Amino acid sequence: MKSAATVQKKRSRRSLSKTDRFTLATFVGIPTLLQIILLWVPAVVTIILSFTYWNGIRLKDIQWAGIQNYKNIFVNNPLFYQALKNNAIWLAFFVVIATPLGILLAYQIDRGIKGHAFYESIYYLPVVLSLAVIGIIWNFMLQPGGFVQGLMGRDIGNAISIWGNPKINTWVILGIASWRHIGYIMLLYLSGLKSVDPALKEAAAIDGATDWEIFRKIILPTMQPVNIIIVVITLIESLRAFDLVYIIYGSPTIFPLLNLLVFQNFAGQGISMKGAAYAVILLILCIVPIITYLRISFQEDLK
Amino acid sequence: MSEEKNIVSRRSVLKGAAVGGAALAAGSSLSAGTASAATRLKGSTVKWTTRGGGATGDAIAKAVNDAFTKKTGAKVVAQQVNSDDFQNNFAQIMQGSPDDAFGWMAGYRSNHFGELGLLEDLTREINRLKGSLPTAAIKGATSPVSKKPYIIPTTYYPWGLHYRKSMVKDIGMNPEKINNWDDFVKLMTLTQKKGLVGYSLGAKGGWEAMGTFDILNARVNGYKYHIDLLNGRAKWTDARTKETFKYFAQLIPFMNENVIDISWDGMRDLLLQKKTGAMMMGSWFANDFKAKSQADYDDLWVVPFPEINPKFGVDTIDAPLDGISVAKNGKNVEGGKALAEFWASPEGIAQAVKAGDTNIYVSKSFDTSSYDAFNKQKLAVLASAKNIMFFLDRDARGDFAGPIVGPAIQNFIKKPSDINKILENVQAQWDALPKN
Repeated sequence: MKSAATVQKKRSRRSLSKTDRFTLATFVGIPTLLQIILLWVPAVVTIILSFTYWNGIRLKDIQWAGIQNYKNIFVNNPLFYQALKNNAIWLAFFVVIATPLGILLAYQIDRGIKGHAFYESIYYLPVVLSLAVIGIIWNFMLQPGGFVQGLMGRDIGNAISIWGNPKINTWVILGIASWRHIGYIMLLYLSGLKSVDPALKEAAAIDGATDWEIFRKIILPTMQPVNIIIVVITLIESLRAFDLVYIIYGSPTIFPLLNLLVFQNFAGQGISMKGAAYAVILLILCIVPIITYLRISFQEDLK
Repeated sequence: MSEEKNIVSRRSVLKGAAVGGAALAAGSSLSAGTASAATRLKGSTVKWTTRGGGATGDAIAKAVNDAFTKKTGAKVVAQQVNSDDFQNNFAQIMQGSPDDAFGWMAGYRSNHFGELGLLEDLTREINRLKGSLPTAAIKGATSPVSKKPYIIPTTYYPWGLHYRKSMVKDIGMNPEKINNWDDFVKLMTLTQKKGLVGYSLGAKGGWEAMGTFDILNARVNGYKYHIDLLNGRAKWTDARTKETFKYFAQLIPFMNENVIDISWDGMRDLLLQKKTGAMMMGSWFANDFKAKSQADYDDLWVVPFPEINPKFGVDTIDAPLDGISVAKNGKNVEGGKALAEFWASPEGIAQAVKAGDTNIYVSKSFDTSSYDAFNKQKLAVLASAKNIMFFLDRDARGDFAGPIVGPAIQNFIKKPSDINKILENVQAQWDALPKN
């Protein structure tokens, strides 16, 4: 067995012609190179800069800061914890409500409920818009002097405080973000569902499985690749949330998110390497759960 | 001390608005300076950036730049940029290939970048303009660190308490006599009794409410304390700072309930729609009143923010100073300097005014005799103060004002009882800033 395998390996390696090798090198090498230059070099530079004081202008002004930026963030800045909390709520909301809702919708539409094409297009519509555009639309409707406030007979002076009201702004923003996220997840899941062999479902139904059992025991396992994508997307979308809130509030942080703090401290007039430190914190928060999750899922596949 | 003297000279200029002619004569000595430069500049191209201003901004730029071309033979290529974008990307723009000269802001924003070697030292140009520029303005444009001016001052505007005369009359008060804290509180109380907003404020942008903080701190603790505070020489946790926030907290019950939801334009609309008693704001928005109707504009009034501590009276005002800077990395630095000088010269100002510029120029040549009542009142408000602040985000360093003070004030408005904790955080974050 062992020798056969190595022979085969040798043969397959040998069987690569010169053109094959060139093609392979080009198609793997160039993207890898670009990835390293455009992504990992800046990432490493950012990590280094997060341990310095710098205003981003003259290289000679860079001063070593040790862990001061991090200390400042963790100890002195209440915004950091507000942002962490907001990102956590965002993630929890997406995981518990928005993503399952998208899956449910996809499942129902796939089953061909009455008017499914109509629902499909309605739920998919917001996905066509970028979050920035969605921010503009909802801001236009909900801000003081906005359309919805006007319908309720409220002018600027007595407009209901929505964006500035900490009791409701989180839920309004999450509702708007979900408006798009649900459609996105629905579409991804729907395309996966279409590829599930209907014979499997029929067979299970004949054996007397309920809808829920079919979903849990047949569909979910066969959809494993799509599930991975959806989990990763939900995680990333929640942690990197930025554009919607930035469009509504601008850079000041009434509704702080980690990404907003990166921007506020790293771009524009308020530049300091605290922004780099925030970026590193965000990178770790994104990368650790995603790598862990992917490793676990791929290990299961190998089994 | 010299500042006081300067203010006196400025005041006398403002009183005798007709002295414009005399100052113009003084300004003519400058023509000699540019004339020699003219031969060198002929045929060269100078690039100019206008920060915002729409069609009027473009018209003003065209008028001034055309006059410059006529005088020197240098071609000017002008562009208009979004003011906020330009401001936010300033360091990057200046390190790339910036336009030679551009409208910019005095205070930390020019001093800081000047000291980092991104802006030209304009001492020579300012010396040539000495005949027409008041010394107070020159001092305001000079970096306290390097003692060099990186901007030639041109215009400024006052931050004052704005209200509508008709509304004040309606509540039985005299709009010409809103002088002290009691009048102010009475105005807010009576307006609120009518079901309107007593004192309108916005804080969505993070900076609008800084104007109220600035003036309260200057009224309670004086100009020196305020500037010391913004530069780390006084503590945010000091009892005196807390005292300022006590006054701020007194205003909150009179405010609209959606302070954090609205920005400066929301404040403007509240006053425009007769829904608020008073507001603290820069007078630049008056043009929007005029655009609505002459009656609205005539109804608008501005007074200095009332006195709180008799020791300081109304001796301080937020009056951001704008001007022209020249980029060190520009392709035609000499041309840029000549153009900057021309914009700030009596000739350039005359062109700008002719093209519809309603700003108040610091230049002694600036003729205010044709001013309407509101603009005259703006001058009076400016003249009432002997100390000029440039506004919090121009008096303090950039990595402090925007990311630290802005959110702190927003959090204070959200929950005033948290003030001690908020101020401790602000101080801790100041202490953690790199020293440079």
